[in-house]
Amino acid sequence: MKVFAIDLSVCNGCYCCQIACKDEHVANDWSPYAKPQPDTGQFWIGITELVRGQVPKVKVTYIPRICHHCDDAPCMETCKPGAIYKREDGLVIVDPEKCTGCKLCADACPHGAMFFNENLNIAQKCTGCAHLLDNDPEEWSVPRCVDQCPTGALKFGEEEDLKDFIADAELLSPAAGTKSRVYYKHLPKKFVGGTLYDPVEKEVIIGAVCTLKDDASGETFTAESDSFGDFWFRGLKDDRSFTLTLEKDGNRKTVKDVRTDIDRSLGDIPMEMRKSSKGGPKGFAGAVSYP
Amino acid sequence: MAKIKTKDKTVLRSLGLGGFFGGGAEGMVDVKDGKIVRVRPMKYGWKYKKEEVRQWKMERDGKSIEPSWKSLPGPFSLAYKKRVYSPNRIKYPLKRVDWDPNGERNPQNRGKSKYKRISWDEATDIIAAEIRRIHKQYGPYAILMQGDGHGECKTINTPHGHSGTLLDHMGGFTLQVRNPDSWEGWYWGAKHVWGQGVQGNMWPAANIVNDTTEHAEQVLFWGCDPETTPWGFTGQFASRLCYFWKEVGIRQIYICPDLNYGAAVHADKWIPVLPNTDAALQLAIAYVWIKEELYNKEYVDTHVVGFDKFAEYVLGDEDGVPKTPAWASGKCGVPEWTIKALAREFAGKVTSIAHYFGGGFIRGPFSHEHGRLEVILLGMQGLGAPGVHHHQLTYFGMPRKEGLAGTFFWNPEIEERLSVPVMSSVTAWQQQILPKTLVHKAIESDEPVTFHGTGAIEGLVKDQFNKYTYPIPKEEGGSEIHMMWTDTPCRITCWNGGNETELAMRNPKIETIVAQHPWLENDCIYADIILPVNTYMEVDDILTNIRQGTQQPNIMLADRAIAPVGESKSDFEVVVEVAKKLGLEEKLTEGLSVFDMQKKVWGYMGGEKLVRWEELKEKKYWMYPTARDWKDDPPGFRLFYEDPEKNRLPTPSGKLEFYSESLARHFPDDKERPPIPKWIEKSAMHDERLSSHRAKMFPLLLMSNHGRWRVHSQCDDITWTREAPTCKVTGPDGYKYEPLWLNPKEAEKRGIKNGDIVKIFNERGIVLAGAYVTERLREGVVYIDHGARHDPIKTGEIERGGAINTISPAGITSENCVGQATSGYLVQVEKLRWEEMDRWRREYPEAFARKYDPAAGLRFDAWIEEGGK
Repeated sequence: MKVFAIDLSVCNGCYCCQIACKDEHVANDWSPYAKPQPDTGQFWIGITELVRGQVPKVKVTYIPRICHHCDDAPCMETCKPGAIYKREDGLVIVDPEKCTGCKLCADACPHGAMFFNENLNIAQKCTGCAHLLDNDPEEWSVPRCVDQCPTGALKFGEEEDLKDFIADAELLSPAAGTKSRVYYKHLPKKFVGGTLYDPVEKEVIIGAVCTLKDDASGETFTAESDSFGDFWFRGLKDDRSFTLTLEKDGNRKTVKDVRTDIDRSLGDIPMEMRKSSKGGPKGFAGAVSYP
Repeated sequence: MAKIKTKDKTVLRSLGLGGFFGGGAEGMVDVKDGKIVRVRPMKYGWKYKKEEVRQWKMERDGKSIEPSWKSLPGPFSLAYKKRVYSPNRIKYPLKRVDWDPNGERNPQNRGKSKYKRISWDEATDIIAAEIRRIHKQYGPYAILMQGDGHGECKTINTPHGHSGTLLDHMGGFTLQVRNPDSWEGWYWGAKHVWGQGVQGNMWPAANIVNDTTEHAEQVLFWGCDPETTPWGFTGQFASRLCYFWKEVGIRQIYICPDLNYGAAVHADKWIPVLPNTDAALQLAIAYVWIKEELYNKEYVDTHVVGFDKFAEYVLGDEDGVPKTPAWASGKCGVPEWTIKALAREFAGKVTSIAHYFGGGFIRGPFSHEHGRLEVILLGMQGLGAPGVHHHQLTYFGMPRKEGLAGTFFWNPEIEERLSVPVMSSVTAWQQQILPKTLVHKAIESDEPVTFHGTGAIEGLVKDQFNKYTYPIPKEEGGSEIHMMWTDTPCRITCWNGGNETELAMRNPKIETIVAQHPWLENDCIYADIILPVNTYMEVDDILTNIRQGTQQPNIMLADRAIAPVGESKSDFEVVVEVAKKLGLEEKLTEGLSVFDMQKKVWGYMGGEKLVRWEELKEKKYWMYPTARDWKDDPPGFRLFYEDPEKNRLPTPSGKLEFYSESLARHFPDDKERPPIPKWIEKSAMHDERLSSHRAKMFPLLLMSNHGRWRVHSQCDDITWTREAPTCKVTGPDGYKYEPLWLNPKEAEKRGIKNGDIVKIFNERGIVLAGAYVTERLREGVVYIDHGARHDPIKTGEIERGGAINTISPAGITSENCVGQATSGYLVQVEKLRWEEMDRWRREYPEAFARKYDPAAGLRFDAWIEEGGK
């Protein structure tokens, strides 16, 4: 049985999966697997962009979304004419001949993966490029989106062969409970970051101990400010409230009510260094060596 | 289930859009029933086993990276089918309806009037007659040949310059000299520090990719985007490399106003600097290093001349202004503490600097100053030491291949039909020349135009000291231009002073404009006669995919995929059609068929020494093996680093020249490019800083880079890329506008919401765009890709398509440098008021009546009388 395995940590957001899918399916009729996809507006695989954080701590996460080829596929259950079927290899296909255009499947899909073609009056979605896998197996062992992926972020293969990936992967919408066949790694978790500096010396503060304490659970996370005075807390849960404590050489600063409703850049945080353990430029990172 | 056929045949292509002879981003094109059915990455193992083609491997800490065994084309390459079948393709020859070569020419209506279909015979008759008339009336130099720049990768049918071959047989022409358009600052600046260099970039630059991979602790991506510009040339190998560097712990710091696409996924640290203020930041870094003794004194003593003069300026001994981090912070917008930290980290860690051309860093006013300062900073840290290099990632410095001799197709020993078109892109080989950056000025000026240096890509350092005049003296055949023939119709959207360019093309002095192009876009709509050109899918050719940093260099026989669309012909054939009317067909073809030419090019590449012709013909491609001893190639400036006396640089002193005696001698009064690089606040040429009085009216710095979804102006009409949120923003009027990035705080100040239509403007004009409100850009700046397709509401003033260069400075990099300055200039942005748009609708109804298809943009039939029916 086939699965898709998607590693977001190496997705550079090139959109080539979305483009390759259109290249394969727009204006090409692969009946009985699929009728042509409209030129625009349908995304059998589509990229969602998340711009996370605020200047100057910002990241972009790209999430390719595709039909989950569920083992408990709600689209199949709702399809009265039985146009949607699951193949032995796990792929779920809409038979364009049998589809009556009732649109129930699109409403039933919790993953937003089913599209409707008004001109042809049929539901359409990812076929896993089954027409290529079946008809040209020497050339094709994976669908177009996976074939083109320049970084290896998208994979497609036997569940057994990808079991190591699946072991520590997540589902995009576990609550849907549809036995999805699409596994993700590195789905975004919230971050909190900032830059610590001494407003008198106008120097970044290196090596400060930064502690983030969950106001409700008391759980704490620690980090140390780096050579740019930057501290990062990654992998935080959504919608928590934290108290941030910053400490260096007996100097201390507290930032309250740091919320993870969104990713947070706390900006440049001044901390006056009244107490100092040693002289010299505080930002100095150590001996400079030349190669 | 019955078997279905997925294709009839597969042909090979370079899907890169750098132009000339092939670059990379190779692809396999599947054809079925005479149509392109799919475009996909090339599987290098199609006809070869991996063990037959020696591969390279770069290693660090037990991890390794190898070239991928398939090509890595970018999105517009994979979507090229849409370009081939675009509703914007020119399908037959056209003549402007109100242009009569024997009567009224109505130059004032260029960019406004529509076109009507004519036959090839009529079109070529008119062009041949016009050439003869102009030659007789004014002499041959009265024709400007614009045939240079990027485009599809083809060798025999290379997209530019064939008309130059024809015109040269008729006594010459005025050559539009293509200038650096993505590396101005190194060409006009860095060259004077490290001598020549390829295009002004660091040279030698062999093997630096491996050396940085093995030795660098951090890489500064300074105003560069490895996830954008390489795509159009070689594809996405740079992306894989950046991910590998992350894996082995090479820290990646991005210094740029925008969280560009590379920074978005690779940056360990983003330092948002104001556009075109890098020189201040660089000077402050030097200040910290000098004050804290954080530079390689021994290297500076032995490898550098002029350090003392530079240090005097940095410390303020020369002008009373120490270039402290506090001073710089006020200019460049980076906090003082971050500048100090960056300076110490740069000095404390083995550091390379990476670019891949373009970006805001190198394309603004006075860009030669930060181009030079970059070399100086690297020089102060031992340029050439292990892991200390200047990259155009991976344009230079990939592992050497066996048998790779280089394709110098401007070699005059080979067929003119191969050499001359390329010469016109890289040299200034005609008697009367015009730098591309001065064309609009030259047309509008009634006085001769003078300039220093041609700006030709292959121009030597010393050429920058030569003074040129256009037109040349009458007794030498000099004439103003009265006719233009372009196969590179993107002057408006890709170069400086777009609005002035539009108006110049309406100047009555210009009696005839001929354009040849596959798509009706940009400058085409100012032409009087338009000839339809076909795409690379429609021709037989041979490609040498060895340039610009390809990961698997190869030679490829590219059979045509489909029959030509409409009545289109290849760029070469178009010129042959005109030559037939002038009795010069044989001069152009040299009696050689495409097949003959393919075989000749194979011969020039090395012929039998590489691969038997029969084998190449059968397999359609051949891949170069990696040289066995590639790791022995000294990386970059290593030999100079090790012994500067034995391995002199091509500078007058043989060393890195922080102070340039040559500049001092030739331009003693140059305040913009003095002998040592400086911070230039403003000049007679450019007044584009936030400190300017102009900033009261135009308080934002506009930055532009090459497009993520285009290669300069190429590919603006691809329906599939136009669905990406950073490619186009659909306005409330249904028009797809070019996105203008702005920070939420700048948007809020102006009452602008994401998706609003906004007006970007300064004294030079107005450009409409769609607001893309994002944290990917710092305050004080707005960002827009250059190269969007020109759609005039009012020619020379109001632009709807988003061609931002229409309001870029019309001037050049600085007085003595004919580069373009198209990023880092002042604008204001407002939400577009509907009353204003309604007024334009009333005043310029024809601009709003043109047929528009949101998916693809303007269509060919929008410009044809009665929609081409």
